[in-house]
Amino acid sequence: MTGQTLNQGAGRSLRLRHPVAGTLAVAGYVIMIVPILFVVATAFTAGSTLRFPPEGLSLKWFGEAVAYSPFTEAVVSSLELAVLATALALVLGVPVTLAIHRGRIPGKGLLEGLFLSPLVVPELVVGLALYQQLMIGLHLDNFTTLLLGHTALLLPYAVRVTGASLALADPALEEAARGLGASPLRAFVTVTLPMLRPGLISAGLLGFVTSFNNVPLSLLLQTRDFRTLPVTMLDYVQQSYDPMVAAASTLVLAATVVVAVVAERTVGFAKIFGGINR
Amino acid sequence: MTTPAAELVGVSQRFGSFTAVDSIDLRIPRGRLTTLLGPSGCGKTTTLRMLAGYASPTSGRILIDGQDATRTPPEKRDLGMVFQSYALFPHLTVADNVAYGLTMRKVPAPERRRRAGEALELVGLGHLGDRRPKQLSGGQQQRVALARAIAIRPRLLLLDEPLSNLDARLRVQMRAEIRRIQSETGLTVVLVTHDQDEALEMSDEMVLMRAGKVVQTGAPRDVFPAPADRFVAEFLGYENFLTLADGREAAVRPEHLRIVPADAPLDGAADGGVVLDAVVVDVAYRGVDLLVTLDATDPAGAPVRLVADHRADHRSDHSDAATGPAPSAGDRVRLLAPRARLALLTAEPATEGLS
Ligand SMILES: Nc1ncnc2c1ncn2[C@@H]1O[C@H](COP(=O)(O)OP(=O)(O)OP(=O)(O)O)[C@@H](O)[C@H]1O
Ligand SMILES: [Mg+2]
Repeated sequence: MTGQTLNQGAGRSLRLRHPVAGTLAVAGYVIMIVPILFVVATAFTAGSTLRFPPEGLSLKWFGEAVAYSPFTEAVVSSLELAVLATALALVLGVPVTLAIHRGRIPGKGLLEGLFLSPLVVPELVVGLALYQQLMIGLHLDNFTTLLLGHTALLLPYAVRVTGASLALADPALEEAARGLGASPLRAFVTVTLPMLRPGLISAGLLGFVTSFNNVPLSLLLQTRDFRTLPVTMLDYVQQSYDPMVAAASTLVLAATVVVAVVAERTVGFAKIFGGINR
Repeated sequence: MTTPAAELVGVSQRFGSFTAVDSIDLRIPRGRLTTLLGPSGCGKTTTLRMLAGYASPTSGRILIDGQDATRTPPEKRDLGMVFQSYALFPHLTVADNVAYGLTMRKVPAPERRRRAGEALELVGLGHLGDRRPKQLSGGQQQRVALARAIAIRPRLLLLDEPLSNLDARLRVQMRAEIRRIQSETGLTVVLVTHDQDEALEMSDEMVLMRAGKVVQTGAPRDVFPAPADRFVAEFLGYENFLTLADGREAAVRPEHLRIVPADAPLDGAADGGVVLDAVVVDVAYRGVDLLVTLDATDPAGAPVRLVADHRADHRSDHSDAATGPAPSAGDRVRLLAPRARLALLTAEPATEGLS
């Protein structure tokens, strides 16, 4: 008798525990996913306007998108930029992480704040500053400026995410390695780096996706000879209204899903995103 | 006289204005097990870390095998360290963990495998070489850490509270295990602990520390019956402190105070021991014995509160006139402390009075 009442009570409280949060979460997913579904659906249209519902079913806009040279060139540019910026952010970010977590330097908080600041400073402001200082002031070319801008953008991710995996590792591990005869460099390579591996993979993936999708910075720093894919697509929809851009978006989406699945299989999202909200 | 395995000469470690280790001199005898014993925060870990090379002393010198090693980095000291957290490399197998130090020394693979295997055998884990550290119990991880430190045949084996993460039974088992390994290998061992039973049971040499200073050193058999001062006495479990008729302070352990009926003959006083009249304040049942709290007046005339262990097995033994029946609160009794059981203490710093 009592057990039954208890069970019923438990069931009800489960359903009612977070009614508001639950509803909001569902609404959030709907708001995020439905527009994407519209885009994907229109990409398969046989008609010639970006309209829902699609008129007929065809893959012709995919063909058009793949053959459209501004898009394909922009994909290459975006990939180049994203890969290089991510690599640079990791190369710069890992020593900073080590200094913050393992170093005996004063003002660690300040250093950490400095490297996380690009997260809070609006990208348009950063873009404008880079434009004025680097492109105009130092006459750096467009790609270098974009690379520096994107690297700055990705540094917080590199520092935070690799820092999260370093924070989980026992500092005594490196000492143990030293005590067993490893030089500081050997200890880093044989012990610290393997500890950092999940963090490096996560930071790399996050950085790559962030750079690849970035609009504000790229928009400000673009020129005729170097354009990223999102900016090119933005330009395109301002001029014409055909479904080719939906097809291009769908392809990017598909590629992103593949990356996400691989990331989930190899590292796990909990680790990737856990690193940011530490 | 042989050179000690390691020697600290006037070594200090300051963190800002705080002195964690205060100009200590210490000789670590070769082939022996030395324990650093003292309450939390007294500087044991700091001392061990300076010996291992993870921290360099603010002043003083460290000699290893008679050679100055004060500024030698840890990788050049040839010491084996077992960390309190074990610090096993989670990405390597147990066998690779144990072989790590040999890999760093460029020992060829076949010999490396053999020696790592031997070290694992020594700690009784020869069959678990393929596992990851995470797949082992705490006690097994502790043994792997020990094997890893031993495999490099260190000049000194340093252990920082190696048993504190183990449950009580395993802890007692591992004490004997570490002693066995020490005597089988003939290694010089320095072990940090804050557990006096552990130190007494395991040490060849005990080093008692307080507030960054060494207060007493010696073999357990010499230190235990003759604590140098009240601090050491308290740390070693002496709970009763009395001032004798001649003004000297003495410490007595609860198990060495005998409770006898108030009218028992005073033969205990004859051999220079102490006989006190006392009133039982409280009796706590503890299974094997009773912990009896008493109020008495010490030979110098000052009131003192004392605790005595009264063995439970004496309770039913009414024929034993010397022990008598179980005391209960309010009883007037007589307390005997034989001369041989009184530990005479040197004068204490004025900051600590009698409680
Ligand atoms: N890096 C540091 N910075 C400042 N103070 C420190 C540092 N390391 C240790 N101390 C201080 O030095 C004193 C001695 O520390 P230590 O770790 O040697 O104590 P311990 O005897 O090992 O204690 P426990 O039994 O708790 O491990 C402590 O008061 C501690 O707070
Ligand atoms: Mg300690």
